[in-house]
Amino acid sequence: MPWLGTLVLLGGSVVFVAVIDSLAFALIAQRPPVNLMRDALLAPWRAVAVSLVRQQNRTEHPDRLNWALAPALYLALAGIGLAVVPLAPGVAVIDAPTTVVLWGAVETLTVIAVFLHGWSANAPLPLIGAYRYAAMGLPIMLLSMFVLIGTALPAQSLSVVDIVASQHDVWNVLRQPLGLFLFLLLGLSLSLRGPFDYADSADLAGGTAGEVSGAARLTWQLARHAMLVAFAAMASSAFLGGYLGPVRAGPWWLALKMLVLITLLVGAGHSLARLPPSRMLTVLWTVLLPLAFLDLAQAGVVALW
Amino acid sequence: MVSGTDLAFWTLAAIAIVSGWRVFRTDSMVRSAFLLLLSFIAVGLIMLLLRAPYLGVATIFMMGVEMMVMALFMVMFMMNPAGLNPMNMVHQERFAIVAGVLAFAGLAAAVWLTDLPHHPLVAGRPVIRELGMELLGRSMLIFETAGVTLLATMIGTVVLSSRSGRFGPADAGSLPPTMTPGGMPAGRIPKKRSGGHGGHGGHAPSAASPTAGEPAHGHANDHPHQPPEHHA
Repeated sequence: MPWLGTLVLLGGSVVFVAVIDSLAFALIAQRPPVNLMRDALLAPWRAVAVSLVRQQNRTEHPDRLNWALAPALYLALAGIGLAVVPLAPGVAVIDAPTTVVLWGAVETLTVIAVFLHGWSANAPLPLIGAYRYAAMGLPIMLLSMFVLIGTALPAQSLSVVDIVASQHDVWNVLRQPLGLFLFLLLGLSLSLRGPFDYADSADLAGGTAGEVSGAARLTWQLARHAMLVAFAAMASSAFLGGYLGPVRAGPWWLALKMLVLITLLVGAGHSLARLPPSRMLTVLWTVLLPLAFLDLAQAGVVALW
Repeated sequence: MVSGTDLAFWTLAAIAIVSGWRVFRTDSMVRSAFLLLLSFIAVGLIMLLLRAPYLGVATIFMMGVEMMVMALFMVMFMMNPAGLNPMNMVHQERFAIVAGVLAFAGLAAAVWLTDLPHHPLVAGRPVIRELGMELLGRSMLIFETAGVTLLATMIGTVVLSSRSGRFGPADAGSLPPTMTPGGMPAGRIPKKRSGGHGGHGGHAPSAASPTAGEPAHGHANDHPHQPPEHHA
């Protein structure tokens, strides 16, 4: 039953993301330690309740269809992204020979979902967020594809199931240490988080989500969390051996690695600063992309060895 | 008897055709680009039905990037702020109708007259491997190397030609066009010397006199008959 397992993994991890998010914020803000854990556990549910009773916001002449569809598309993409990840040897919801390319399609369509979310509102700050995110999202996606192709080399396959199986003896993070670091940047970008949040950031008063409230905003936040979960599952499978572990391979190892990566990314999102967009673009094109080339070349040499 | 695959094919074919038609009937560049993407996604899914797993998914992946970039470029080059103003997506209508009818007739004739193969795919056949060998064969390494080199070249070109490149402002010495025949260059004319520190991409170079060849670093104040500052 890969369907059921994937759904349980998604639901549980989304709640974990929400809790660890408010806990990390409270810890970094040095809130008094009284009721810290209880507040963090309750905060996501409070946010859900508040969103549900708030009225929907309206702007002048929005593109209603795309505005309503963008959060649904984002959430669906997170679901497809998680569905390509195997829970156990040969057990994945989508087990096709080209699931890495499918993950690439998920990345590109995510850029489009975020862009449409900001563009459709027909309001200045969401629009700036949309264009800014498209400019950042494309180069980050490009370098992530170079890094992912590096993980497909030792497996000699474009299937995520085979990529995990190829790490039986040694994980890809040891074969190509640069790859995991570069790939983690994509996770921050895909889930609009911290230093790579050029879409929904505070400097644009919420950016693409700035004019959204009520249930639509709740769906959008849920989709962001779900995308972080899907990304953590993909990163664990591509670089950390996925369901493989020292004893008894199974979904528990995948879940454990996902929780570690989610904690790492949420912490990074709260503690790292965001560069100005123009400088970030320069860094992306002239530093990080050449590093991805280097990673691919190194992965190729190791695979031939 | 209609199988699930048939049903999926006809639904996807209808989506591809209807969204392809809406590309030209919508009034926005951004919507038109993403409607075209929807059409391509339906075609990609039909390829999956035809058991072409790589070509189908790669079509969706590549068209996603392509349509996003196309929407950005259309908005950048058209005089339509942020792509939000309604605009007509059709031009040269008579020529387009003739070309469209001819192309449709030609392609339909090709489909009718071709003897299409009827071999069902043997299960477990390594189609992706065979496709790669068919496309690239022994030139695989050369092709991959050339791909990465071309991308590096493109990035290098953009870096060298962007205004704040390491060889100074790229538009040094160039003048914006005039608004009236023989008039002054359009745009804001800076009072003090501009340039030196890049980053102000919107500034016109100092262009007090229309005699070309004036470098961007020239002192606008040196010219006795400096025109009043005006905005384009």
